[in-house]
Amino acid sequence: MDLLQQLQQANYSGTALTGSEQVGYQQLIAGAIAIRLQYPQLQKQAIALHYTTLPSFLMALLAFDGWSSALYLLPETALDIPELVQQWPSETSVKQYSAIHSTIGSQETRWYLATSGTTGTPKWIAHTFASLSRAVKISVDQSTLHWGLCYQPTRFAGLQVLLQSMMSGACISDCSTGDAEQRIEMMLSSDVTALSATPSLWRQLLMTGRLHQLPLVQLTLGGEIADQALLNKLSALFPSARILHIYASTEVGVGFAVSDQQTGFPLSWLGTNHSGLAFKIDGQQHLWLKPPHTPDSNLAKRLDSEGYLDTGDLVQIQDDRVQFLGRDSGVINVGGNKVHPEQVEQVLLQIADVLQAKVYAKANSVLGQLVVADIVVTSHTDHAKLQPQLVAHCQQHLARYQIPTRFNFVDHLSTNATGKLNRKEPHG
Amino acid sequence: MKLEQTIRNTLAQVATIANCELIADITDDTVLLQSGLDSLGFAMLVAQLEEDLGIDPFSQMQIAVYPRTFAEFVTIYRQAQQGGNE
Repeated sequence: MDLLQQLQQANYSGTALTGSEQVGYQQLIAGAIAIRLQYPQLQKQAIALHYTTLPSFLMALLAFDGWSSALYLLPETALDIPELVQQWPSETSVKQYSAIHSTIGSQETRWYLATSGTTGTPKWIAHTFASLSRAVKISVDQSTLHWGLCYQPTRFAGLQVLLQSMMSGACISDCSTGDAEQRIEMMLSSDVTALSATPSLWRQLLMTGRLHQLPLVQLTLGGEIADQALLNKLSALFPSARILHIYASTEVGVGFAVSDQQTGFPLSWLGTNHSGLAFKIDGQQHLWLKPPHTPDSNLAKRLDSEGYLDTGDLVQIQDDRVQFLGRDSGVINVGGNKVHPEQVEQVLLQIADVLQAKVYAKANSVLGQLVVADIVVTSHTDHAKLQPQLVAHCQQHLARYQIPTRFNFVDHLSTNATGKLNRKEPHG
Repeated sequence: MKLEQTIRNTLAQVATIANCELIADITDDTVLLQSGLDSLGFAMLVAQLEEDLGIDPFSQMQIAVYPRTFAEFVTIYRQAQQGGNE
């Protein structure tokens, strides 16, 4: 059953979203059917979906799931699309109109979401609707929630919130743009009761001093490692609310939620099944997960003989908990934004005076991690003069969160036997 | 007063590196996230103060406190310094 059929069957009568306009579930459904009727030429086509407004985005999702062959959710950054696709919203006018044209979805749509690849270059990851909606919870309680959308709706995390809200019959408002003050304003004006955000955004919302005014009953933390002080603070502000921190591996396509308000997850989960997943830790301290479904062919190659996948996340057992330490690849997470050290190093090495560069994460109590660079420069270099040049060069070639917040001038950087930078060694 | 001046100096330094333009007059009542410093700038300020003062009060808290204004921010550092000297 496609998304539209599921909503038709659920037959929700309430408000699906509020914001600059208020749109009901029946309006969304009617809008989606109208799209299928008016653009029959888009059926069985691959469609690239641009985000304009939340109502039109939701209608397009409803119209195209089960109806188009592929659905690409275009991120805010440009990314090539590997096949012939139709752009939506459509620029071409209606060429044909046929009332007898079928509006019934009949095929499985491949969904494509952008993710930052292992090299820092974004790439498309294919999903089925079943896998995207696996975590959705449908209940009477869920249907009464009013979600504030804090993530970009075209990204994995944002889509999860959208699908949760829509499929459970809840209401949602777009709070994904603006600074923390503007967002809390939007949340307060629409009486948001459920929020899913990165720990970094939760900290900023707390800094507004007004978060406690929201009647929150469900709080979700994701996209970064949650720390105990933050969990304690949220729990103190919202003692009767459900507080979850979630772990998700977009590439592996699996995730789980922890609801006991403690960081990490219970050690007892190892060796048993939880959330449909089996857990294990290997000798390199990597977390491996065994998904309940057979992953697509790309991932199937990466399964071990027992059907587990390596998440690439480093974990450590501390007492009765398994705690997350970060990515083994060294990928830095600045407030939910992933930074690939190699990409930043390449930019630094473009400067003639820089001989060697090593980029790594420094723990930060505000954004989780910050980017720091150790650099080796030529002996005649004036450090004080080079520093502003480095910053200016980085500003030209990198996003703000990728720019090192600190440059340490060091005498040498150690390399391993293969001549590569020694990333496991303590930093300078 | 010395602590507040240190924080103000660090704030100005960090704003330059973070490419943030601070508002002209930062007073006790200035809301931090409206001082011109965004979340990245604020994170850098806390990191730099840890180097300058040797403390990061936000990483030492059992239940985190999040300052809204400049005065609240300075108070958190003052309390952390006093706590450390006891």
